[in-house]
Amino acid sequence: MAVGARLLIGLLIDGISSGLILAMLGLGITLVFGLGGVLNLAIGVFSLLGILITIEVTGIVSNVLVAAVVAFLAAGVVGLVVDRSLLSLVYKSEGEERTLIGIFATLGLSFFLEGVLILRYPDVYSVPAEIELLRVAGILIRGSSLVSIAITVVIFALLYLFFERTYVGQATRTVMQDEIGATLCGIDTRQLRTLVFVLSAMVAAIAGMLYSFTGEVGVASAFQLTINAVIVSVVGGVTSIAGTVVAGLALGIITTYASAFVGAYFAAIALFAVAIVVLLVRPGQISS
Amino acid sequence: MNWEQYKIPAAVVFLAILPAVFFQEGATYISRIFTIFIMFATLALALDVAFGQTDQLLLFTGGIVGIGTYTTVDLAASLGVSLWATILIGGLFAGVVGAVVCYVAARRQLNVIVISILTISLQLAMVQTFNALRDITGGNTGMEVPALTAEAITSTMGWEPLTFLYYLFLLLLTALMVVHHYLTNSKYGLAFDMIRQDEVSAASTGVAVVRYKAFAGFVATFFMGLVGPLYVQIGGYATPGMFQFATIDVLVLIILVVGGMRTIYGPIVGAALIVYVNEALQAAQEFRTMVFGAMLIVLFLYFRNGIVRYARDLAVDRFDLGDRLPG
Repeated sequence: MAVGARLLIGLLIDGISSGLILAMLGLGITLVFGLGGVLNLAIGVFSLLGILITIEVTGIVSNVLVAAVVAFLAAGVVGLVVDRSLLSLVYKSEGEERTLIGIFATLGLSFFLEGVLILRYPDVYSVPAEIELLRVAGILIRGSSLVSIAITVVIFALLYLFFERTYVGQATRTVMQDEIGATLCGIDTRQLRTLVFVLSAMVAAIAGMLYSFTGEVGVASAFQLTINAVIVSVVGGVTSIAGTVVAGLALGIITTYASAFVGAYFAAIALFAVAIVVLLVRPGQISS
Repeated sequence: MNWEQYKIPAAVVFLAILPAVFFQEGATYISRIFTIFIMFATLALALDVAFGQTDQLLLFTGGIVGIGTYTTVDLAASLGVSLWATILIGGLFAGVVGAVVCYVAARRQLNVIVISILTISLQLAMVQTFNALRDITGGNTGMEVPALTAEAITSTMGWEPLTFLYYLFLLLLTALMVVHHYLTNSKYGLAFDMIRQDEVSAASTGVAVVRYKAFAGFVATFFMGLVGPLYVQIGGYATPGMFQFATIDVLVLIILVVGGMRTIYGPIVGAALIVYVNEALQAAQEFRTMVFGAMLIVLFLYFRNGIVRYARDLAVDRFDLGDRLPG
């Protein structure tokens, strides 16, 4: 196999891995927006929390896996607190006004938590997992990419089962399609919103840990992660779960190739350009 | 007595005597704070034309300020002329960019939320582009900016560079206040009110919604573009980081909301308060992000009408001063 082809395949695997991570983040935005009309601009902070808590707990129990589970649960607790306090206030308003207040309340939350975190964590961090480079048929592959792909696939499978097979999952999809109809069927939308927000916070924490395999993450990266998540969600159609996954994969692969061949700045510009074009071509999906 | 017609002169006189009272020779620290204050007041009032008047939440103030800056500075450098010759072109170009975005957004009937996501994407793309275009912007490390001076004026008045800059900003702010006042008290203001309240019924009664929204976008971004070359005078250099969302947009939004939308004094009061808070936190720099984040939450949840409106409502309720107070 030619060297070029090997490089392309190696990059494709990295791209799929980063795409699946983007899809997880985007899914967090999509589910919360679809259920309650709140665009969670603090999702990147939950990713950051996942990384930082894992590092702290690793220092105590010296087992990364246990630490990651603790961080996963802790992110859920923080999500619960945010949902019960801040989001309860946001849900008091209705329709477009709620979305607007939601944008600023979660943006403020993001800045607030970043401000708190930077006091103790001024540096850049990554989850302390050492995974080696693999060589398969002459192709250099990041072991961490394979690990991320495996973990994200398992999570997506679990989410799929949750939404397809469980009552709560089906109820969630019902609310996303028709809130009034769902309420008439006796579904408690507020409780579902809490559940889904907590779920999105936990998924974002895992996405953060996996993201830090390929690059160290600082407090300043939280906002960048949020924006990437919003873009994936917007490109995928905002309320479509399948669309978000496809959009995450596509954008992950595009930006990985773009940053390998034309540079990181242009990769970021490409990401925004796709979002801008999609917003202009199909704006209807957010305005509904 | 009609307060309405003295509203702008009163504000201009007040702002004009500030340097005489507070600026001290050699103490650039104080004059710098006042210059930053008047700059943010200008940006917030400019945003009010788009967001306050026509509900177009433009979240790319930083990027537009950057476009105004780089157009002015690079054009002047390549033509070998001073910044005075190109500053209007920079403002116009920024205004055209803003008008195009608002025109397309209005044609596609994007609502306020889609516009905010669209413009924040543009904001981030712009800063990345500034980072990437090293030849034009100096990349990450930035570039030096030639001084915007008028020897004749500064030497007669005995002004220091920052004092001169402050008065330049005041000139710009005055022009914007006049434009703002004219717009809100003419057929434009009526059209803006109708668009804000119900776009469909505005269109059905013959208001050219797309044209008015694009025009409001042009006015807002034109003034933001003009702020750019003045903004970079404060430090004498320009880096892409100076035009970031977190550096410009967040403060401008807080200022506009805390001061009060759809008022002339709101941005001035808001800027004074926020720049003061920012300076008070200078000693505890690390708490800045935290405090502004909390402010953003509290303001948008509980206090979306702003100080100026709050004070006016209070005055109207308690003392029945309704028709005597300026808006």
